[in-house]
Amino acid sequence: MITLQKLTKIFGGRTAVDSLDLSVPKGAIFGLLGHNGAGKSTTIGMLLGQVWPTSGSVVVCGHDVTRDRHSALQRVGAIFETPIFYEYLSGRRNLEILATYTAPTSAARIAEVAEWVGLAGREDSKVRTYSHGMRARLALAQALLPGPELLILDEPTNGLDPEGIHEMRETIRRLHRELGLTILLSSHLLSEVEQLCSRIAVIHGGRKVFDGPLSETRANPSRVRLRVDRFDLATSTLLAEGWITAAEPPDTVFLASGRTVGRVVRRLVELGIEVEGITREEATLESFYLELVKTARLQQPAAGGRPPALPPVQKP
Amino acid sequence: MILLQLRNELWKLFGKKRTYLGFVMFLLAQAVILLVFRFSPASRQMGRLLENNGYDMTQFLSPLTAATFTNFWLAVILLPLFGALVGGDLVAKEAEDGTLRLILARPISRLRLLALKWVAGAIFSMLLCLALGVTGLLFGQTCFPWGGLFYFFPGEAFAVFEPREGLIRFAGAHVFMSIAATSVMGLSFLFGCFNVKPAAATILALSLVFLSFIMMNIPWFNDLKPWFLTYHLNLWQQLYGEPIQWGRIGESLFILIGINATFFAGGVAVFSVRDIKS
Repeated sequence: MITLQKLTKIFGGRTAVDSLDLSVPKGAIFGLLGHNGAGKSTTIGMLLGQVWPTSGSVVVCGHDVTRDRHSALQRVGAIFETPIFYEYLSGRRNLEILATYTAPTSAARIAEVAEWVGLAGREDSKVRTYSHGMRARLALAQALLPGPELLILDEPTNGLDPEGIHEMRETIRRLHRELGLTILLSSHLLSEVEQLCSRIAVIHGGRKVFDGPLSETRANPSRVRLRVDRFDLATSTLLAEGWITAAEPPDTVFLASGRTVGRVVRRLVELGIEVEGITREEATLESFYLELVKTARLQQPAAGGRPPALPPVQKP
Repeated sequence: MILLQLRNELWKLFGKKRTYLGFVMFLLAQAVILLVFRFSPASRQMGRLLENNGYDMTQFLSPLTAATFTNFWLAVILLPLFGALVGGDLVAKEAEDGTLRLILARPISRLRLLALKWVAGAIFSMLLCLALGVTGLLFGQTCFPWGGLFYFFPGEAFAVFEPREGLIRFAGAHVFMSIAATSVMGLSFLFGCFNVKPAAATILALSLVFLSFIMMNIPWFNDLKPWFLTYHLNLWQQLYGEPIQWGRIGESLFILIGINATFFAGGVAVFSVRDIKS
């Protein structure tokens, strides 16, 4: 549904997006994760033909955005971080105006979408009287009007209260389940991405540092938390005998390939070391993300400039 | 489809209160100028001027004369202001508010969007001039009986017209006035296509218009007058000339059409390569 190849955007002397390759398959909820200023919004701007790439290609729904933006965006809906509308007009009029930039839209279709997002009964009120939650619904309605196949959501829960965030999350799930939409969700909120997406890409400093299924971010089979009475003795022996590859005091070890927790415990008992506890540590998206960012930062030059190449982790 | 999209632009333009600022200010200004004219020695002085030249002042102190008198300076000073205000808003205000990003998430081309906005701005300019003419006549009707048109510009023009001809000339002047207003709107529109605040686009356009006006009125630059924008913006004043200099009107019209096309093309060129960001 989306294919980015070597996509680069340079503003002045600053590289906002650097040689980004990305593929969003049809039917996925794909998370684009990164801190503020990582390059997510610039990437989305290039997807929508709002920001012109310095180099590389952007293909949306089978059409190159820079060459045939009209065809590429025919079945695309988008929501941006802060829902902004013509405050002095009614919700219905806003929908009529925005829909017509894609195609003439019937009043019945507008009423249907307003009903779907939960705006029915308030669509004739001026937008200035809407709460933030209602604006978010209106944003969703305008994005759904063209009958999109692809929905691009740029920080859609920004500014919403916890109830609004929950509602938006449920709506995104419903859109995916009931309408079968492909959804690209850009966010810096790890929990949001973790709860919604099946696949993610992490962007840092304009570069992709991870791309793969969400499940891969949780798996960390080698990291084990080990609590023993003599940690130093235990780890030096295990290292020497090839049971583990590394140890991080006070209680973390990394199992060598092919070694199991059970056999490590048996060996420790044979050595006379008392094992108080041992658990395989499952990484959270947060720990995974922080580790990625930390690694990326370490590879950046100390005094600004463009970060050196960081090999992206590509999972099947 | 294109008509629906134009309707959108008009909904947006005329849905805003600030769009009506020009209409309201014109009404107020016309009322004030007319009241002062009616109840001060000014109308008597004008009457004496007519009589000294052999005309019956009761025939020519009329709504047409009063409206021409009140609208003259409004058209020279206030009309560019409100044209520039709306022209500067058309693109720059949407960019500032963030709604432009919402529009450009849709498959509409930037060229078509700008063309729609420019046409909406031109419609506004024409309506503003139409309102200026109609309200001028209505206000005049409350103070004077219907009659001919007297046009006087010290040192340059002195003309009287029968009511029918006067009305035709008055209407024609307001048609050409709307072309002048559209041109100022177009200049402001051009600046609004850059990454600037709407106020900056308006101020830049007005500054250029006023600079042109000032330079045009410096006696040493008399020979250079045809090179100044305001010389051509004032083409509507030619409708009150006797005889009408159609050659001069045609020249100004041709130049204004060229200037408008250039402003629009410049706006499109700038806007097309711009990155639209939040």
